[in-house]
Amino acid sequence: MIGLSHYLILSAALFCLGLLGLLTRRNAVHVLMSIELILNSANVNLVAFSRYGSGGLAGQLFAVFVIVIAAAEVAVALAIVLTLYRIKRTPNLDQASTLRG
Amino acid sequence: MHDATQSTQLLTEIARSGWHFLPETALTIALLLVVLVDASRARWRGSVCQVLTLLALASAFALRIADRATSDTIWFHMLTRDPLGAFFSALVLGAAFLVVASFTFRNSRELAGLGPGEFYALMLAATLSSLLLISANDLAMLYLALEMLSLSSYILVAYFKGDRMSNEASLKYLLFGAASTGAMLYGLSLFYGLTGTTRLGEIQRALAAGLSDANALTLYVAVVFVVAGFGFKTAAVPFHFWCPDAYEGAPTPVTAYLSVVPKAAGFAILTRFFFVGLSTPLGSEWQLAPSVHWPALLMLISALTMTVGNVAALTQTNMKRLLAYSSIAHAGYVLMGVVALSENGARGVMVYLFAYLLMNLGAFLVVLLVHKHEGTFDLRDYPGLIRRSPLLTATMSVFVLSLMGIPPLVGFVGKLYVFGAVIEKGPSYYWFAVVGALNAALAAFYYARILKAMIIDDESESEAAPKPVIRLALYDRAWLTLFAAANLTPLLLWGPVDVWARSALSLYTGR
Repeated sequence: MIGLSHYLILSAALFCLGLLGLLTRRNAVHVLMSIELILNSANVNLVAFSRYGSGGLAGQLFAVFVIVIAAAEVAVALAIVLTLYRIKRTPNLDQASTLRG
Repeated sequence: MHDATQSTQLLTEIARSGWHFLPETALTIALLLVVLVDASRARWRGSVCQVLTLLALASAFALRIADRATSDTIWFHMLTRDPLGAFFSALVLGAAFLVVASFTFRNSRELAGLGPGEFYALMLAATLSSLLLISANDLAMLYLALEMLSLSSYILVAYFKGDRMSNEASLKYLLFGAASTGAMLYGLSLFYGLTGTTRLGEIQRALAAGLSDANALTLYVAVVFVVAGFGFKTAAVPFHFWCPDAYEGAPTPVTAYLSVVPKAAGFAILTRFFFVGLSTPLGSEWQLAPSVHWPALLMLISALTMTVGNVAALTQTNMKRLLAYSSIAHAGYVLMGVVALSENGARGVMVYLFAYLLMNLGAFLVVLLVHKHEGTFDLRDYPGLIRRSPLLTATMSVFVLSLMGIPPLVGFVGKLYVFGAVIEKGPSYYWFAVVGALNAALAAFYYARILKAMIIDDESESEAAPKPVIRLALYDRAWLTLFAAANLTPLLLWGPVDVWARSALSLYTGR
């Protein structure tokens, strides 16, 4: 039977994959996708806790808000990535290094 | 019949909430009006937008002060109205008002030629979300407000549309922010799983009932994740990497705003989360919730934050970067107040942030005016400033001495409150106070470097003609004097501030 622990393992795996992508990827779009994985791992947690725990519907409502926020965040992020791409002609984050020190 | 009473209750709650929600409503209306006015494309729209913004901020300030004594929740326990929230909301609204009034399109060389409407609309949006964050009582509300504040800040940092530095700064800010708030969200989901609720007061009651050992470990992991999100908003080490880049790349008015408002909101929700969610009030002290000893974690972060901030500031020559690292160090001092977990600690957080607002905004105003007249942010161009502009030098000296913590300036009072609160906790906290004191000494070194550059250092001889004397506009002179005078408040009228901070200590700890 699939129970709460299966969902928690899935979400922990998603979180770790997201973190790994965040640390190793150099392409800005890939990094954004990794961040989506992290947010969705939290969503899996929220919905699973809501279904199996004592929390009622609050978790599922929370997850809906997270989905909306994630969409807004990606909209802003892609706009900035695009502007930077127009200036530098590369989505590579290693070359976004004018500011240092 | 049953339905009828239920819907009456519903309507009463909505009417009551709407009444207490007036400050936020005022900001929302002004936000929409600013967008409409900006769409008119008329020549005068910039000044109208500014006046509208100032009016909205002032009326929200007045409304929030008028409602300061309430201690309750509104919108079905989503938000709180309590005296502590009123203090921080007033602080945030006051800071936003000062930024919009004194740092404008008129005296910023960087903003010249850019659209005014979006600027004021984003400022209002960021302030509105700060208010929501300060009074959040539910994990979902907390996350929503935090993200709304972050999103408006990202766009404000990228305000120079075609500028490489500004966009790069914003992208770094955004990726850092998205990663740390993502981790925070994961932590919040664990909180929900452990306690079965998203309301802070109920979380505290669920934790007070005790957890099994395995769950206590999970709770600790969740706290670490949540601290990542708060650390990002308050620019605490090790979540501070975005801070110097964002401060340098953003237009100076935005930098001044970012250095005060999101930080104050971040500390307000940090205090609320840890004092209401993870501890129990017990007389004038707070008792820790069983099975998570978070002050040790925050103590480590605080000590690291001030040390890293001060050490990195030592070698900076760009004034915006230098002030960025100094603001990181100040976040470390403010955290000392949270670690103390007592009434005096909470008061330390409030008073320190108030002091920080006055000295930091003043310092940024001087940096902005030097850039306006001489086109430079570099400390190496500051020598001889005392000849070119005695007023800028004198006021900057006040702000720098205040940041250093020299009595009787307001920065000293802030340090006095937080150090006092920590020492009061007993011998096991003494080392922490010593770390703070050593850091204050270290910070004095680079602050003194600014004073030396302005006052003692000679202008370079290689230049053929000496730089012309700076002629400040009357408006700028008035604001500089006002900020400098405000830094002297301890001499003149400290009483009211202290009394307010004392009376504002009550946190709403109910549902």
